[in-house]
Amino acid sequence: MDADALVDTYIARLESEAARLPSDRRADLVTEVRAHIATAIHAAGRRDEATVRTILDRLGEPTEIVAADADMAGPPAGDPITPGSSIERRQGWGAIEIAAVLLMTVGAVLLPVIGPLIGLVVAWQSARWSRRAKTVLTVVVLAIFVAVPIVGLFAWMPGGGSAS
Amino acid sequence: MRDMVPSATRNSFTELRRGVLEHCVLAVVGDGEAYAFDIVQALADSGELLTSEGTIYPLLSRLRRDGLVTTTWRESDAGPPRRYYRLTDGGRRVLDDFRRDWTRFRDSADGLLGTARNERNADGR
Repeated sequence: MDADALVDTYIARLESEAARLPSDRRADLVTEVRAHIATAIHAAGRRDEATVRTILDRLGEPTEIVAADADMAGPPAGDPITPGSSIERRQGWGAIEIAAVLLMTVGAVLLPVIGPLIGLVVAWQSARWSRRAKTVLTVVVLAIFVAVPIVGLFAWMPGGGSAS
Repeated sequence: MRDMVPSATRNSFTELRRGVLEHCVLAVVGDGEAYAFDIVQALADSGELLTSEGTIYPLLSRLRRDGLVTTTWRESDAGPPRRYYRLTDGGRRVLDDFRRDWTRFRDSADGLLGTARNERNADGR
């Protein structure tokens, strides 16, 4: 691979790794690394493959450089497991939340016990509801929509439930 | 058998390096003006401190954000304009504080580790 191709590949990898940084940081970093490479080549006085490879080796892996940058910025705000921008963690209701509620209410009528249980599973997928909210919801739903119908079912069954 | 070295030792040097490195960068800039590439060279020449040269750029960016250095762009005949760094008053203060703290820290550690450079007694005390 010739010198220019080596540099282009390296910069492309750096840009790709740096996609997870804020855009101003990404632009700065790429500019600075480009300038570094240009200066290093100029200082070496040569532009052959071996020289360029040495320069890039000394620079280090793009993953390492970007990791150092992410490190410098400090830990991200909010729950890192949440997909999407952690800063824009929204409150309120989205598709998941609406589906969960529907399953737990309408679903309780159309599909007793099973509907609300599925609704609970969906509710736990929510990125907007807090753990505490989900726990409370679970207890309530299990009590009203699951336990009561099951108890009721036993009460209605012939010979079951009440002491004979 | 290199893998038998407990990773705790290696990790403690990573942290230590990170803490010391930024102050060494401030010291390299010193009272004058330095271009990033020169800073990298000085650190690389010193030996142990800089693992991958590219990681200096996030560090410099953090020093800028923290107000410890200011930068000026200057035209260069060797290619793109260069960013020159100089210390702010805050940076100077941080450097002086660290020099004092580091000396105390290093002397204490040397005393306990028995690694003091000038052996006054045989047991390093």
